[in-house]
Amino acid sequence: MRSEKVDGATVARAPSWKPAMVFLLGILPALLPAQEASTGVVVGRVTSRTDTAAVLSPVHNATISVVGTAAATTTGPDGRFVLDRIPAGVQTVRVRLLGYRIVERAVLVRSGDTVRADVTLEREAQLLSPIRVDAASADAEAFVSKPNVATVAVDATAMKGVPAAGEPDVVRVVQLLPGVISRNDFNTGLNVRGGEADQNLILLDGHPIYNPFHLGGLFSTFMDATVGGIELMTGAFPARFGGRLSSVLDVRSSDEARPGVHASADLSVIGATARLSGAFARERGTWSVAARRTYADAVTALFTDDIFPYHFRDLHARGAYALPGNTRIAVTAYLGKDILDANLSEFASDSAPSRASEGRWTFDWGNRVIGATITKDLGADARVPLLGLRLGESATLEQRVSASQFSTLLNLGEGAFTQRNEVSDVRLSGSLLARTATHDRSIGYEVATHRIRYASGSSETGSSDYDVRQRPMSAAVWINDLWRPSPRWLVEWGVRGEALSERGWAALSPRVSLKFFVTPEVAITAASGRVTQWMHSMAGDGPLRYFEVWLASDSVTPVATAWHWVAGAERRVREVGSVRVEAFLKRYDRVLEANWAENPQLLGDEFFVAEGRSYGADLLARWQPASGLAGWISYSYGVSMRSRDGTRWAPGHDRRHDIDVVATWRFTKYRFGARFGFATGTPYTPIVGEIARRVYDPSRDSWGTGNPRLWIEALGGARHAGRFPATHRLDLDASREFRIGGASVSPYVSVVNAYNAQNVFVYLYDYSTDAPTRRAISQFPILPSLGVRVVF
Amino acid sequence: MLGGCEIEEVGIPRTEAQLAVHSVLSASATTQVVLLERTRNGSVAISAPAFEVVDPVFSDEGIAETNAIVTLTTPSGATLVAREDVTVRGDGKGRGVYRFALRGEDLERGGTYQLSVRTTRNQSLTAETSVPLGDAALAPAPATFDRVQDTLFLAWPAAPGARAYFVRIETPFGPRSFFTDTTRVRLTGELRNIDVEGIPRVFIPGFPQALTVSAVDSNYYDWFRTHSNAISGTGLISRVRGGIGVFGSLVRLRFDDLHVVAPQTEPEAGTFRIAGTPAEVASARHLSIELYVESRAARADQAHALSGRYHKRPVLGESGCLTCGLLGTARDGRIELAFLTDWYARDTADIFVGHLRGDTISGTYRVSGQATFVRQR
Repeated sequence: MRSEKVDGATVARAPSWKPAMVFLLGILPALLPAQEASTGVVVGRVTSRTDTAAVLSPVHNATISVVGTAAATTTGPDGRFVLDRIPAGVQTVRVRLLGYRIVERAVLVRSGDTVRADVTLEREAQLLSPIRVDAASADAEAFVSKPNVATVAVDATAMKGVPAAGEPDVVRVVQLLPGVISRNDFNTGLNVRGGEADQNLILLDGHPIYNPFHLGGLFSTFMDATVGGIELMTGAFPARFGGRLSSVLDVRSSDEARPGVHASADLSVIGATARLSGAFARERGTWSVAARRTYADAVTALFTDDIFPYHFRDLHARGAYALPGNTRIAVTAYLGKDILDANLSEFASDSAPSRASEGRWTFDWGNRVIGATITKDLGADARVPLLGLRLGESATLEQRVSASQFSTLLNLGEGAFTQRNEVSDVRLSGSLLARTATHDRSIGYEVATHRIRYASGSSETGSSDYDVRQRPMSAAVWINDLWRPSPRWLVEWGVRGEALSERGWAALSPRVSLKFFVTPEVAITAASGRVTQWMHSMAGDGPLRYFEVWLASDSVTPVATAWHWVAGAERRVREVGSVRVEAFLKRYDRVLEANWAENPQLLGDEFFVAEGRSYGADLLARWQPASGLAGWISYSYGVSMRSRDGTRWAPGHDRRHDIDVVATWRFTKYRFGARFGFATGTPYTPIVGEIARRVYDPSRDSWGTGNPRLWIEALGGARHAGRFPATHRLDLDASREFRIGGASVSPYVSVVNAYNAQNVFVYLYDYSTDAPTRRAISQFPILPSLGVRVVF
Repeated sequence: MLGGCEIEEVGIPRTEAQLAVHSVLSASATTQVVLLERTRNGSVAISAPAFEVVDPVFSDEGIAETNAIVTLTTPSGATLVAREDVTVRGDGKGRGVYRFALRGEDLERGGTYQLSVRTTRNQSLTAETSVPLGDAALAPAPATFDRVQDTLFLAWPAAPGARAYFVRIETPFGPRSFFTDTTRVRLTGELRNIDVEGIPRVFIPGFPQALTVSAVDSNYYDWFRTHSNAISGTGLISRVRGGIGVFGSLVRLRFDDLHVVAPQTEPEAGTFRIAGTPAEVASARHLSIELYVESRAARADQAHALSGRYHKRPVLGESGCLTCGLLGTARDGRIELAFLTDWYARDTADIFVGHLRGDTISGTYRVSGQATFVRQR
């Protein structure tokens, strides 16, 4: 790896694309049309009623138009919209979203003034059939409006009731979706369609977050109360996404739709979460603040002298505001930290009369993210500066800026040994989307500067094992066109051009997706695309994954590349259901594998470069009515192989079959949830022996003194020559809502692994006797948990 | 709550054992040693008698490979044949320990030595190492090190051909060692030993602590800096052909013998001499003790940690140290001391429990007898 040692200056070359970025930023404001005096503004919010708690939820992607004009826009994730330059007078605002009744509302638009139009949608299917529809609407809308290949969206309502181990967790829900494999119960790392766990671009409201996991991967950093929904793209994603080989997971924050101040609290066996939220300025703005902390350490301290030295905490804040001039601004901030602080001398003594001489070790890691998005809906007359070309019937300009940091520090013996990884990502991106009757054309850019440090050494001895510092800059420009050539065809194509400074690398990555409607309810799809990745993890291929340890491509570490091919078919069933089948092939031209035996004093051997191939098929059948029985069945079949230097192996996440059945049932005040999973085994390397490792004493010129005892270490056999047995698990969840005063109180009980299936996590071997043995260590045993959610 | 538990234990077939070698050509050694054994494969029940330095394979849980032909080819092409210690000793010890009559000072610096092994089962193993340049430090340089006030700044000349420098400090709880690629290092008195459970301090008052800095070749460096992952069994870097292990070389560039001390300001700290009637003094096993408060307790319900040394009465026919280490605790005047067999925490010769009243410690030994020690002014 070409990176300077600690006392060497790191020089980042000025990227040649900077002038282009300056130009692009310069012309964006020129696109903003001036407000005309004889027009006014219509703002509002679109909501729907989603559950029995009578809470209004914002509706994303509803189409808002003014009858008789070309003015149109769509609602943002917070349900808000702004229509600018609406002719003064009485106008009719039309709100349309598949699955809901079309709503028209007359408003009086005064010249130079702003008028509100808030709309609550009702389910259309309530009028059409006895079956009530619910969150399926967003799915249905996506079905007719986008190719949407390899994409699954799940909103917060659908995630409620999915049984959880201790804490509800969105990433655990993602693991139940087709194409997604989790190695075991102790790992929230996502392996998507044969990809490694570091190949997922994880976004919080569109802003990258590098290690969204707590407690060795047992929990994600996303608090349930703050999640409005997720969108998972498992392959051939559109050109606006880049930087990862396998998937994009966009976690959308929930926005408060109700005026006033509201509170909610979740108490679980693991920790407590509290959220305050509200709307202000006649609901032009919303805000929310949420915090979570685990409390095992505090509870332990109350009752015993023992110290439980670990906790994690999260802080999430979100604000959004609709500015005059059809402009919306949204800010998301997240701060999370895991802290393991073990001062051994303060621990309760067991058999030793004193632990006074013992030392301290600390281990912490966490993310900090702050990002802002400014979106401006341009009117029908928006034109390209200088050229005067009309952009389309409507256009939207979006600008994002974010700073995302991840850091981890292991400190043994107060500086006797420290190891750290720090990643800083400051990113500027923007896009311009122009809509016509047949095209949604967009152009965008993304510029990011990274600071990465991966270091190990000792401040107490002044020695450094290694200190890798990198400052790569990346840039991308992309174009994308969603073309509707006929009522039966949807074509989305794009090209992403990318460059990386420290590698001197640039590439074009084409993407294309097709959808053909055989009937209005049945479509066949196909997609292909090239993807690249220049941030790589040193975490390796083991069964436990605390977090990724990131390094970037540079002069000796190449950029990983892959091609995706996807083909499938989807059928909508009575507006509330869908069945989707997709087959995929993923070819890795270069995939990087961490070299666990890398030489810390040699830069450039951190990764092996391998080739690979993954293929398979997955199925998703969903049923999403507003009440009653809902859920999904997902099935994934996959085959993954990697090869290097003539050796082929199946990666540790290679799983043939994986089926998950998720069901939730809402009945008056009760909600029940169940999940059953069955999966065939993943590969492991059998241990074939042990070696007694002896230590040479240079002061005596002798081998071993018995002080300390020698190391006994495992010797592995052929790589991944074995496979764990199949696993299966049933999780159950039940809750009931009580109304107490103005509050909704919902105690719940969950049982993970309800029948205590003994699924194997790892094998441990013992060759120290003449009757060697192998012990199996289980994944989750039966885990009952309970908690309560209170909403004010 | 979330932890996995053991759900099954099954017998598994024995596997094929590998030859394992541990050998380091040392420029300061009087002879060169090769330890030859077999990896554990479930065919032998491992025994663990008390460790003996003359029997480092069998007495330390090894499966010795005996009666092998072990040769060393020097850079000049001469071939030396090793003798297995068990064949020259009369006590049956030294199985798997093969020794070349080659003094370290005769090792050719920069030269490449080739090791060849052929076992009675006709298995062969080969490896080679190149000895770094540099002058070997043969005798220790004594120094007194005040743990509270002093910081050790070590520097040594560069050794061409060395892959890295190996710094190792002996402690009562086990050595602290690390590699560095620079020719200087700083060791603070408060340095912690991360190689030992509990992360105690490296420097323990009252103890003599050897400190060595050695230039090592890449075989030594790669073998000892890597470990095998417990789950996958991978990660070790071995350059031995036909087996696994290390055949490396080492030149000891620095050899310091530190007498570690610290201020003795606490009531429990100081030098205490045996006291009593002339008959009691004449029969006392321990003539004096030198105590330091090694660490103060972090909790009120725990004791301070003590360290130090004691002087034994010489006894005819008894071997071992006359001045040896001691470790102990002190809480509310109660003193408990572990008199060590030598300088290692693992072997305790006797336990003494007493009370400190003024300048006097009175108490009893666990084995038998009483003793009174009085502070020496």
